[in-house]
Amino acid sequence: MEANGSIRTMNRRLAQKVKREGKENPKSPYANRYVGIANGKVIVIAKTLGEMMKALRNSEPDSAKCIGVDLVGDYDQVYEV
Amino acid sequence: MPPVKWPLRNRRPMVELSLVSPKKKRRRRLVADTGGGSDQAPFELVLLDSDCQYTDVAIEGQVQLSGAFVGWFNVYSMIVRISALGFEDSVLVAGVPKVPIGFDGIACFRFLNRFRYGNFGDRNHFGLAK
Repeated sequence: MEANGSIRTMNRRLAQKVKREGKENPKSPYANRYVGIANGKVIVIAKTLGEMMKALRNSEPDSAKCIGVDLVGDYDQVYEV
Repeated sequence: MPPVKWPLRNRRPMVELSLVSPKKKRRRRLVADTGGGSDQAPFELVLLDSDCQYTDVAIEGQVQLSGAFVGWFNVYSMIVRISALGFEDSVLVAGVPKVPIGFDGIACFRFLNRFRYGNFGDRNHFGLAK
């Protein structure tokens, strides 16, 4: 459990770094891509969500040890539902 | 392929789909809301937080919603299947604490817009077609 917690923290920190870099630098390999992270490492930079998920599943079956970063969607807007 | 049609539920358009998780397949009935979100929204469905525990993977960051839901909400990636359409894909889902009465969530415009949608000439049904 604690190991999972530490992996989650590592993943989250890396995800925030990837997100910042992808948003700030349009020439970054992460810009406008889906980035899959598992066990504290970038596993895949993909054009589609499905591609990212497939690579993550193949690399780490335990989803608790994975996180995705969406640099395609616009998270700065407010969406009415 | 002919459209897949579902009867209106509480006189509102509905789509029925399955959330695919390694352990179970869960059928969910969602209100079809073409006014929900936009075609560029970073989510296609709105589901209960409790459904999102079956998620494939959490997505870093939150999305800001207004209207029926106000605030910041987590986003997840989930596999969704509509067998009759031969559709299965990963979709982005916003997790919320409650959903419209009589439904399990909302199928937003970005999801519906993957298909042809409408009543296909039958005013008591709503359907999707590829």
